[in-house]
This record gives sequence, C-alpha cells and structure tokens, in this order.
Amino acid sequence: MTRALSASHRGPGPYLRRFSTLERTLHAFVIVSFFGLVITGIPLHFSSTPWARVLVRAIGGFQVAGTLHRFCAILTFGYFFVHLGSLAVHFVRAPDRTRILWGPDSMVPQPKDIRDIIAMFKWFVGRGPKPRFDRFSYMEKFDYWAVFWGVAIIGGSGLLLWFPEFFSRFLPGWAFNVATIVHGDEALLALGFIFTIHFFNVHLRPEKFPIDVVIFTGSATAQYMEEEHPLEHQRWLAEGRLQELEVPPPSKVLYAWSLALGFLSLALGIALIVLVIWSLLR
Amino acid sequence: MWAGTRAGGPSVSLNQFSLSRHASESLSTSLREATSGTGRCAIRGWAMAAGLVGALANPTAGQSPVACVKCHANATFLDGPSAVLYVTDSMVAESQHRGLACASCHPGFDQGFPHRAQATARPCQSCHPAAGEAWAQSTHAANGTGDTPTCVSCHTAHSVYSPTDRRSPTHPLNVAELCGSCHADEDIVGTYFAGPEREQAREAVAQYHATVHGAALTRAGLLVSATCNDCHQAHLVLPADSPASSVHRDNIAGTCGGCHLGVLETFEASAHGAALRAKLATVNHRQAPVCVDCHTSHQLVRADDPEWFLGSSQKCGTCHEELWETYLETYHGKVTNLGFGLTAKCSDCHTPHDMRPASDPASSVFPTNLVSTCAKCHEGANQNFIKFYSHGDHTQRTRYPALFWSWLGMTVLLGSVFVFFGIHTLMWLIRLGLDRVRGPWRPDGEAATDAGAETT
Repeated sequence: MTRALSASHRGPGPYLRRFSTLERTLHAFVIVSFFGLVITGIPLHFSSTPWARVLVRAIGGFQVAGTLHRFCAILTFGYFFVHLGSLAVHFVRAPDRTRILWGPDSMVPQPKDIRDIIAMFKWFVGRGPKPRFDRFSYMEKFDYWAVFWGVAIIGGSGLLLWFPEFFSRFLPGWAFNVATIVHGDEALLALGFIFTIHFFNVHLRPEKFPIDVVIFTGSATAQYMEEEHPLEHQRWLAEGRLQELEVPPPSKVLYAWSLALGFLSLALGIALIVLVIWSLLR
Repeated sequence: MWAGTRAGGPSVSLNQFSLSRHASESLSTSLREATSGTGRCAIRGWAMAAGLVGALANPTAGQSPVACVKCHANATFLDGPSAVLYVTDSMVAESQHRGLACASCHPGFDQGFPHRAQATARPCQSCHPAAGEAWAQSTHAANGTGDTPTCVSCHTAHSVYSPTDRRSPTHPLNVAELCGSCHADEDIVGTYFAGPEREQAREAVAQYHATVHGAALTRAGLLVSATCNDCHQAHLVLPADSPASSVHRDNIAGTCGGCHLGVLETFEASAHGAALRAKLATVNHRQAPVCVDCHTSHQLVRADDPEWFLGSSQKCGTCHEELWETYLETYHGKVTNLGFGLTAKCSDCHTPHDMRPASDPASSVFPTNLVSTCAKCHEGANQNFIKFYSHGDHTQRTRYPALFWSWLGMTVLLGSVFVFFGIHTLMWLIRLGLDRVRGPWRPDGEAATDAGAETT
C-alpha cells in the first residue's frame, strides 16, 4: 500500500469537508502575504548580515522592498477584515451562531484546552493517553490567535512607522523607537514560530510527515479525522452529519497544486529560518 | 623626439611635454652627474645642460662672447651620439628665459672650446632661491640615488614656460601626467616606495583621475580644480608623515581650505575643528578628523554619491562607536547598513562640516533647531516628532525606559513562547521515538510489543 504524501489523504475514504472555500482562500492569502512581508522585511532586521544585502538587492533595492512590504501589509489587513466580516455574517445569519463564540468547535479557548495541554504533557512522559482533540486542538487555536495578535501588534506598529509624520501629531517621537522594537521582534516571533513550531505541529511531526494539505484541499479522509480530530469526527457521527459533509476526493490538479504550494512554503520557510538562526548565532 | 625638435624648430612646444616626461627618468642627473658621466643617461643630461647654449646664437637671447649655437644648433655637426647636445636658439627664445645668456645657467662654458668649466650645481637657484630651497628640503631632493627629479625634470631645461602657459608641463592640465610619468611607473615607484605604500603610490595618479578633482580638471577642463601640486606643493613635496608636509594631518585643513575656504571656516568653528586645536596641546588626545579622514585623499567621491555617504558615515562610527551602534538600531541606520543612501546619515542631521555638540545653540541638533533639522526630510515634523531617539539604546533602563521595557517585554514574550513550544516539540519527538522502540502507550501502563502501531 502506498502511503499518501499528505496526511489528509491517508487511509480509506470517504473524504469529509473540514474547511470552507473562503477559509482555504484566506489561508492562501495568509501564506502569500506573510512570505511577502518576511522576505521584504527581514533584510532590515538583519541589516548587518551579508545575505540581507544580497536579498534586498535581489528584490530591487530597499525602496522596492518597502513598497512590496506595504502592499503585503494591505493584503494582510484585507484578509484580516474579510475574516472578521465573515465572522460577523456568520454570527448574524447562522442559527447556531453562539457556537463560534463557545463550544467544541469554537476557536475560543475552552477549559478542555487546558486539560488537553496537561494531558499532552502526561502523554509525553508516558503517564496517560494522547488527548483526543475536537475541531481545533489547542495548538491550532494558538496559531489562530497568534495571527490576531500579530496583525494587531505588527500591523499597528507598522502603520506607525509607515506614517510617522501623521502619528507624531498624537504620539511622542519615541513611540517610533518602541514601534521599531516591537515590530521587528514580533515579526521574528511570528516567523520563528511558523517556520519551526507550526511546521512541526502541522507537517513535520512523524504522524503527519512530510506534509498536510488539508488547508488547501479543504477535505480529509475519515481516518485522518479519527486520528487528528476524533471528537469532532464522533460528533459528526452522533449528529448524523457525515453524509452532509462528505465530498468527492480532491481533484488531482488541486492536490498537485496543494502539494506544490505546501512544499514550496515549507522549503522557503526552512531556508529563511536557517538564515535567521545562523544570523542570531554568529 | 629630439629629431622632431630638430626638424620642427619653433614647433618644439608640442613636444616639450613628452620630452620632459622622457627626460624625467634620468634628468635628475642633469647637471651633477652629467659632469662625471656616470648618470643613467649622462649624455642626455649633457644635452639638456648644454642646450641652453643655443640661446646665445639668437641676438635677442643675450650677449655672449662665444656663439654657442655655432656648434650646438648645427644638426649636421652634432650627428650621431652627439645629437643630444643639439639645442636651437628658438627653444630658449620662446621660453620664460628669453634674454638669458647660455652662461647664466652654464657659467664658464662661454670661455671657449673645449669647455674647461665644471657644471654648476643647482644653477636655477641663483635666480629662484625660494623654489630651490623648497626643492632642496623636499623628498625629491632628499631621496637617495640622485635620479630623483630636479628643476629641469618638471620645467625642462630650455623651453621653460610659465605654469600658466598651456605648453608647460607644469600647466594644471599637464601636471597629473607629469607627476604620473614617475609615480605611475612600476619600476620607479618600486624603487622608492615599500610595503603598503607602494601600492598606494602606484595607484595615486590613476585614482586621482577618478576623483572629483581629477574629473573636473581632465574631463571638464576646469583649471580651478586641484591637481597634484595644489595639495602636495610644487617644490616642497614631502610625505604625509612629515610635519612640514602640506598633506600632514596638522596642515591638511589649511591645504584644502586654500580652495575650500568656506568649508574651512565652518570646519574650524565646529566641534572637530576645536578638538583638532585642542589636540595640539594635549598628549594622547584622540585625533579629531581632518578633511581626508572623511573625504579620503585619492579616492575622493562626490559627496552626493550614496557610496560616499556610507563610507563617511561608517567613518564617524570609528570614533563615535556607541552612536554608530545605536544608529544602526533605527530605520535610518538599517537602510544605511544595507547600502542605500536615502535615509538620514550622520551628516544629514549633524551637518557635514558644522557638527557641534547638542548643547551648543548653534548646533543643528540643539533642541530648538531639531524641528527644522528633521523637517528637511520629514515634512510636517513637530515638537512630538523630535522626541524620536535617533540614538536610543534599549539597554539603558534609566535613560530610555520606554525602549528598555518594550525590549524586555518582547524578549520575555519570545523567550516564553519558544521555550514552551520548544519543550513541547522536543518531548513530542522523544515520545514518538520511545513509542517506536517500546511500543505505544496502553491504558494498563504496560508497554506493548506491537511497536509502530498508531496511537489514537
């Protein structure tokens, strides 16, 4: 039996829908804009390294890099507000609207997440079973809220640095020094986290190695759901929603593109984190 | 070239420059060594010395009992090896020295033939005492073997023109080539310069042509632009480490200021100018910068060239280390560090020459002047804006509390996230590794033997 490259394709069908088209599109925007921001911004943070000079010249100079950085910032604000808008629409229209605010499939941290973290560490040391996750594990929730936090902190400080003359009408000049520190360090946190912890949790850990493209294809096999999100899978069973959620397997074209984008992102991210770690250690 | 001179007669001027270049190899020997005949090119030395006699044939060239030109302007007579002794009367007649007798420079040589007189050492000095004295103290005169340049090497022996005369090798448009005839010559530079100075000396003339001074002179034909002798002097040429040298650190501001007077006045009133004066009275005082420390001497780049900005700003940092380090923490510094010239450099805020301490009311960074200084780039800069720390240091808690606490907060945040998830990831990997070896966890706590089974 050949093992599928993507964890989301392992085991027999049926394929179940996990992410909506909008969610998949927005995540693609997150990836593209995030790489754009990192590649055009990181030379400034590591301006005294030789690779930063090479990179910024490859982009076309610091002014081109700055323009692209601001363009990607607009993309970021864009997907951020589209997502907020979609939440608002969902909240107004959906009959089970409160479920996005609280419950097993809410992004809002639940008491169960605390219990899951404790259970996870117990499992690490062989003192209990691996916790069974619902729709979002505490790791996925952390990723999600990190983007919220990141867009607010990096986006806010970035706006300050983008329009210093305007903001100096209300803020003292040293706010730009603070913004520089916060913007750079928070960005370092974001890329450092995504390119190591997020990559490990989602793609590289042995259970899923080498990749999981469920965020691109939107669907995963029942076996995948049973392994990664067993509680959600069981809820679907109990609620009799499996038929409603069943979708045809992703087309070969979509799967190929998903693998391509996924592996490209992994490679690019790992290359960047190697540069960053090398620069921090030297 | 002698043939050309001979045939061309009055048109000799065109050849004078190349003549002097060629001669400069050996003309150091001109008078002294010529007499002993041991010079590298004694005959040519003789030619230059003896050539002046040609002036005597010209009625306007002075009065001499002997018509030197009878022999020395006779091309048929002075054929073969003796051709070098050929001098026409017009050479001197057209020169600054018209009216001088041959014997003025060649005393005793007018007393009949065969000549019994000995060549006089430094005959030029009798009329040009200041230039002669300066030359005598110069590195050209002091330098050893006797084949270093003398008067005639640069001024030629007979066709001596004023430096303002286009035909003169010492005319501003010709000087770089004149000096370069020795200083761009591998062998000559190799003889007189050693170590790293050799490379520097060999490149000096070529580099000069690439500088703003050289370009202005050779490309734009601008006579007021500096050429070799404007900085190094014509006669008192001394190495930069000699205190009497025009290019010695203590004298360089005055030398540059000879043309750049406005800059000199500003510089002398600046903190650097004051520090430079103080240095003279203080031992072990760190040397304040002089013109060439920022502008260099032979790599002079236009001050609006980004490359120059980067170099000069880095130079500020060699003394102002802390200010440079903290500047690199700002956006201004980071862009500069990446090699781009658009964001503020040291001189943009502190002025290029009028840098003064922030406590000086005349300083561009004195509190009441900051708004206008920042507004040069940041239109609309106000009292809030100038509270930006151009040299803030996040490690100084009492001086920059906002920077310290935001830096500390971010460090704690990054540290705790990476420590937590680092441990999380590591333990996960270890767990899965152990599972492979001992089998996955079972509710009864016993390790199973079916290693590799999935945990659910």
